[in-house]
Amino acid sequence: MEVDRTTAEAPHGAAKRAPGRRLRRKRLITAWLFMLPLIVVNVLVILGPSVATVYFSFTDWSGIGSADWVGLQNYTEIVADADFWLALMHNLIWTAIFLTVPVGMGLLGAFLLSQITRFQMVFRVLYFIPYVIASVVNAALWQNILDPTRGIGSVLATVGIPYLDGVSFFGSERLALPAVAFVENWHWWGFVVLLFLTALQSVDKELYEAAKMDGANRWQQFINVTIPGIRATLVFVVLITIIGSLLVFDYIYIITQGGPAGASEVVGTLMYKEAFARFEAGYAAAMGLGLSFMSGLVILVFLYLRRRGWEI
Amino acid sequence: MHAKISRRQFLEKGGRAALGVGFAGSLLAGCGGGGSGGGQVTYWSNLEGSGPQAYFKKSIEKPFEKANKGTDLKVTFQPPDEMDRLVRTALQGSEGPDIIMTPGPAYAQEYIDANLFAELDEYSKEYGWDDMLLGWAIDLGRYEDKLYAIPYQLQTMLLYYNKTVFEDKGMLPPKDRDELEAMAEELQGQGITPFAAGIGDDPAAIEWYPTVFWNHYSGPDALYQALTGEIPFSDPVFVDAIELFNNYVQKGWFGGSQEKFFSNGFDALHADLGDGKAGTNVEGSWFLSNIEDFFKESGDTWDWAPLPPLRSGVPAELYELGIGSTLSVNASAEDTEGAAAFIDYLVADKKRAAEWMAAVPSAFNAPLPFTESDFPSSMDERVARQLSALSQATNEGNFGYTAWTFWPAKSDLYIQEEMQKVLTGDITAAEFCEGLDEEFTKERKEGAVPKIIKPAGP
Repeated sequence: MEVDRTTAEAPHGAAKRAPGRRLRRKRLITAWLFMLPLIVVNVLVILGPSVATVYFSFTDWSGIGSADWVGLQNYTEIVADADFWLALMHNLIWTAIFLTVPVGMGLLGAFLLSQITRFQMVFRVLYFIPYVIASVVNAALWQNILDPTRGIGSVLATVGIPYLDGVSFFGSERLALPAVAFVENWHWWGFVVLLFLTALQSVDKELYEAAKMDGANRWQQFINVTIPGIRATLVFVVLITIIGSLLVFDYIYIITQGGPAGASEVVGTLMYKEAFARFEAGYAAAMGLGLSFMSGLVILVFLYLRRRGWEI
Repeated sequence: MHAKISRRQFLEKGGRAALGVGFAGSLLAGCGGGGSGGGQVTYWSNLEGSGPQAYFKKSIEKPFEKANKGTDLKVTFQPPDEMDRLVRTALQGSEGPDIIMTPGPAYAQEYIDANLFAELDEYSKEYGWDDMLLGWAIDLGRYEDKLYAIPYQLQTMLLYYNKTVFEDKGMLPPKDRDELEAMAEELQGQGITPFAAGIGDDPAAIEWYPTVFWNHYSGPDALYQALTGEIPFSDPVFVDAIELFNNYVQKGWFGGSQEKFFSNGFDALHADLGDGKAGTNVEGSWFLSNIEDFFKESGDTWDWAPLPPLRSGVPAELYELGIGSTLSVNASAEDTEGAAAFIDYLVADKKRAAEWMAAVPSAFNAPLPFTESDFPSSMDERVARQLSALSQATNEGNFGYTAWTFWPAKSDLYIQEEMQKVLTGDITAAEFCEGLDEEFTKERKEGAVPKIIKPAGP
């Protein structure tokens, strides 16, 4: 007799599947219950304000009172705003500085640290200390050190090195942006060292041995073994550097507030002034969304490259 | 507004800004807000420092509650430079204190336009504010003939000088432009910075200088005409004033050099004045509250003088009027009467105000017609002289205008930002003034210019 397998097996299969489905549903509900507090918090503090920001970016809201719909006016004004483009240019310069100086210093520092075993922990701690000091403290420290009349320049002048005497690092249009970048780099690079050091330690030592046997020198080992071995960390550092440089605010606001004469203005400080000094909250919201859009683009490029098979 | 910008607060600002809305929200949650009932009155004060705050609690809050049985005054101290942002955030959520402090009339006007303040005419009649307060102060708080705000924490710009240095060199404070320039050349020639100056701690403080040069070069009448739209800010009388200031900066008279002017911090420049590395300092009357600290180490003495006229026809003793804050009652306050009673207690009693002004200099400067004899003998003679001079001069209509009080917000920010570009040579004085006129005209059309009180005239 031919057995109708579908009907014959159905009860058996259903009997087997039923508890599984219940279990899965139970697990799903449990998972969502655990997620719920986080979702509520995110809706309240991220999604809600984000939606509000999108809405206000299409209005002339001053920060209090009613907001009138102005359509794309804020966005068209941003496109024609020379201050915005100058600030964005400073963001790009900042990005270029931070993609090279701390990354280069971090790679070098990590490589040198990986070569030593004694006192490595001491150096790790020393490098990391600036990263855990509050930005206001770091900034105040360097403002005093680089003070044109009472700082290191005048001290060096007393011992016969006059080159920095009277140099106003934060008061010069030419020097203000790189000087602030220098301060933030001092805070940041130690963290990069530790990221790279951790990555370096996971590179298979046998690869270096093999490279040596193939006649590779130190530089060739670095290019052909180290860099591919820490590629994921390298890309991560590049990613957070680009996003962090687009959103940079604290050190510039604390030290120069964008001055002198806009020489260190970035979009973050410009946006703050628009919202809280000019009371153009709608315009500032549009500016903020512009920045978010750019950061989003960077992340999209990153995701696209991963999908294309890049090991990052 | 820059009553408080003589301090290094922007260092704190950055940290607080990073904390953002959550910080503000927690503050608001902790402070109750307009919804407090049962005779409770909430007040956010901009007093700084444990000493002044303890004094407020002991000498103002407690006696007020004692004198007004059933009213519970809840005071929260907020950072001065953050006050407006916190108030703004609170009012967005229909919260905020019952008594609202704004940084000046232009800010108050914005809140009035948004119907956030209660009318005070009834209380003005009840307490007799019209008779007690300086006439201009009441005028400044009226919008469309209704009283909404009381100006508080009066300020002006002064010329502070190291008296010991001046006496050593046989110099006297300058009385006109020729004397001022001769003094600056003499001091610079001797290796002393003529004017301790710098905006490193707060770039917005650059607005002190256009304020001073417009008042003492262009004159209060020209400013009145410009602020009321009769003449443009591009008029040569304003351009020349800016060029004169720029010229002085390029000569290194202010802060030592143009670049040092941009980077000098307040502590450093005040120390320069105190130890005689600088001869004078152009700053607001708020500096009286801590000037003594910078002279302790050197043992030098200090004094102040009115800023001299820089052009003929400008009054000899002219005080540009600055309002550190205005006080209003939140439209959603439950105990409006209690809030008005506290404003009256804080502002309108001459004897009490004089005592507080002596105890905590520059924090409680009330718009009252003081004379030197009104102040207790414990008050520093120089401070009493300044307070009575300001009170009497402004009562006689002999006043000028400070940018942070009489210019609307965007024009004020324009001055702060673009004046820097004049000093760096990115734009000319004429371009600066044309841009200001454009921004100001736009704001005037929008109705953002606060009430402009008229000076006595020549």
